[in-house]
Amino acid sequence: MTEAALFESILASLPEIVVVTGACVLLILGQFVPKGQAYFLVCASIAIVLIAVLGTLMLANEVRPAYAGMFIVDRFATFFKLLFYIATVLTFLLSPKYADIEGIQSSEYYVLLLLALSGMMIMASATDLLSIYVGLELMVLCTYVLTGFLRQQRRSNEAALKYVILGAVSTGIFLYGVSLIYGLTGTTQLDAVAAAVTGDPLDPGLLLAVVFIVAGLVFKVGAVPFHMWLPDVYEGAPMTITAFMSAGPKAAGFAVILRVFLNPLVASSHVWIIVAVIAVATMALGSFVALVQDNFKRLLAYSSIAHAGFALFGVVAGGADGIASVMLYLLIYAFMTLGIFATVIMMRNGDFSGEIIEDYTGFAKLHPALALLMLLYLFSLAGIPPTAGFFAKFYVLVALVERGFVMLAVIAVLLSAVAAYFYIRIVMVIYMREPERAFDPALTPLVRATLALTAAATIGIGLFPAWFLRLAQQSVFGG
Amino acid sequence: MGFPLLSLIIFTPAAGAAVLMFLRSDEAARWTALGVTMLDLALCVAMLASFDTDTHQMQFTESRPWVPALGITYALGVDGISALFVFLTALLGWVCVLASWVAIERSVKEFMVSLLVMQALMLGVFCALDLFMFYVFWEAMLIPMYLIIGVWGGNGRVYAAIKFFLYTLAGSLLFLIGVIVLYLQGGKTFDILALTAQDLPFPVQSFLFFAFLVAFAVKVPMVPVHTWLPDAHVQAPTAGSIILAGVLLKMGAYGFLRFSLPMLPEASVHYSTLMLALSALAIVYGGLLALAQDDLKKLVAYSSISHMGFVTLGIFALNFRGLEGAILQMFNHGVTTGALFLFVGLIYERTHTRSIADYGGLMKVAPVYTVFLALFTLSSMALPGTNSFVGELLVLSGGFAANLAVGAAAVFGALLGAAYLLGMYRNVALGPASVGARFKIRDVNGREMTAILPLALFVLWVGLYPKPFLNIIDASVKHLLAQVHSKGSGQ
Repeated sequence: MTEAALFESILASLPEIVVVTGACVLLILGQFVPKGQAYFLVCASIAIVLIAVLGTLMLANEVRPAYAGMFIVDRFATFFKLLFYIATVLTFLLSPKYADIEGIQSSEYYVLLLLALSGMMIMASATDLLSIYVGLELMVLCTYVLTGFLRQQRRSNEAALKYVILGAVSTGIFLYGVSLIYGLTGTTQLDAVAAAVTGDPLDPGLLLAVVFIVAGLVFKVGAVPFHMWLPDVYEGAPMTITAFMSAGPKAAGFAVILRVFLNPLVASSHVWIIVAVIAVATMALGSFVALVQDNFKRLLAYSSIAHAGFALFGVVAGGADGIASVMLYLLIYAFMTLGIFATVIMMRNGDFSGEIIEDYTGFAKLHPALALLMLLYLFSLAGIPPTAGFFAKFYVLVALVERGFVMLAVIAVLLSAVAAYFYIRIVMVIYMREPERAFDPALTPLVRATLALTAAATIGIGLFPAWFLRLAQQSVFGG
Repeated sequence: MGFPLLSLIIFTPAAGAAVLMFLRSDEAARWTALGVTMLDLALCVAMLASFDTDTHQMQFTESRPWVPALGITYALGVDGISALFVFLTALLGWVCVLASWVAIERSVKEFMVSLLVMQALMLGVFCALDLFMFYVFWEAMLIPMYLIIGVWGGNGRVYAAIKFFLYTLAGSLLFLIGVIVLYLQGGKTFDILALTAQDLPFPVQSFLFFAFLVAFAVKVPMVPVHTWLPDAHVQAPTAGSIILAGVLLKMGAYGFLRFSLPMLPEASVHYSTLMLALSALAIVYGGLLALAQDDLKKLVAYSSISHMGFVTLGIFALNFRGLEGAILQMFNHGVTTGALFLFVGLIYERTHTRSIADYGGLMKVAPVYTVFLALFTLSSMALPGTNSFVGELLVLSGGFAANLAVGAAAVFGALLGAAYLLGMYRNVALGPASVGARFKIRDVNGREMTAILPLALFVLWVGLYPKPFLNIIDASVKHLLAQVHSKGSGQ
């Protein structure tokens, strides 16, 4: 690699470098920050992310391949990086008060979030199976630790352990698939694999490799049959981390899925059949199991499985519209899921956990404005217009029908009618019962800001989707 | 593009709802809501006053790009078919506010907000000229209606609200797939007029016809997907019942008129016998069920199913009198059934029972109430001189022309209507005055009278001199019929 190429590469990966360096600096600085000064850490972390945002926007004007084809900066990566920044910053905003209530005082919490962010950024930009692996591991290792951050709580430890073991297995499977690919084609670079694969679509070895890679990646987005970890981890992890995981790492998993499935292999294999089966099974399982949940976090975990299933329908559709629909779906989903988690996090105050759905009985009577926000997020998750959630689903369906998958579209809408039930059941608890207790939501200015931003996005994208749609359509790779 | 009158009509209630959210006192909320609905009604009257009855073209059209990348526009307009319903919605919106004046005791502000949002969305459905926009309005109505039934309803309100929500949602989602298929078949546009102008192959038409049928049949409701209606009606507060019966049920029929017939003419002609049979089934089955009811609201609810059967029968008779009668009957049903639900609500506020067995001899204690109840009961059974007579006669003559057996069934249904309505009236209003001893009943007051009188006016006006109303729909019906028969005659 020449010096000029190295310089170009470093320039292209500058946002990642900023985040990693910032995280390391913060790790050292954190030791000197007195306990209870969480606001300094939050401000510093947000400042680091903002510098990275600036860098990303400045680099967005052209496509920059880097590190000899392992890394690329294109609009697709930029779109996902912006999505990750939003998810991370909103998580930072939610964190200080919650960390205070739960007794999390170490600065590593923020450092690990930043490192997870850098991992996701690498995933979005990776164009080689090995750089994908590096980003993926960086991200999940951080989330393993963050999941177990409530050290005194048994279920937090249990969730972390479960996550580590299952995650390690899935990573192993992924790596095995990569090694098969390397053995068969002699390369791990996505474009080169594509070029090598086109010859014989039904090579059984290659098919096996694809199945392994599918299994490894699908684990990260929590799709059936690799979803078992998700409800336990969502329930056990600190709520801010759950919110973060359902928005950021899930989107990162999809970024990789889009790159891997729709780049080299889709033309040469029938991988879309596997993905279609997974999508239907995922959505069905998420929707039906969520019906019987009493715990809000578990319900949102299954809801996130169902949403992953719906987004996978967009992957099945493929093509420019299919990719754009998944991207838009993930962006909108990030806003509404962070919004609904923000309301759950806000309820956690003192001894009150706010984790059981019945805890919200009659909430609307005492806090009409907050209840209205929850109503907005819930109907958006259910996909009722004029909220953004509807437009997200609508666009995926358009992509599906356009490809001729009308039956899949019918299955998707019928399952989302099932899913609508558990969202409106929460609305029912909030609005249609008499309150039994007083509520004391932990409404700090930062939480308020999160709620305002997510609510504005949820209703705003729903009413004026044109700009966001164009953004997603222009960010599709290869176009 | 002239003055955006339709936007104003749609967004006046929405703006009113936004203002209401910042009010503190219940009294202020009531008066503001009343003012907003009156203003909206005045705007609708102004719209009708300058409505050109000679053309079938869309009038007061507006168009702005909304999501250009997907061919979605913000497009509004009314023709003879929708104009009447825009007016009806505004009229009933105003009646609803009056009907909820004292009936709603808790969370008055929130209730009025839901009511106004609901009104804005319903008006949007009737004015939309873009299929996507239509769907957004259509589906968004679920949210306020779910709350109106579920928060302010009777004892079984939660079950009724969820049933209503899921039924309608499941129906609409298949409609959504139909909309997307139509969009892709029609060259990626959601423009209703452009989609109407094109010819689709018959298999596609068939598929779309059934996808649309599921959604519209749930809303109408047609037997066998009617079971949400009695629950929703019985549990909903009075205003909710008025909106449901008066406007929501019309949307299914409006969907047939706006989409199924002009866009899928071949399929409409091909499946018209099936639709006629379903309509006849609804007329007779709804009538028989109504005959067996003891609950006043349930009786009116089942009578709605029967009466909406007349509407779908008129539509799928696919001839001029049938269609014209169906549209007029939709308007009439909105006025009459809205009034009947209002009357049930009025008496329920006083006695807190809806069981017919608890009543008797109301004539002696509340003479004014019973006189008007008589008027609306007679209107509901289509006595000559009232509005429904004109509509039902047109529908029947159209129905007989289309299919003799179905016409005969409809006549039988009309007879059933006379039986259950007269029976209800006799048991409630006539007979020994047992009721005064048990309940303190006062007659209607001025506020209630204000809500009743306009409805009574329309009952008699349409009944005695229907010409102005028929004039409004005439040109559009002729055009619609020409579309159906020029394209659908291939069958």
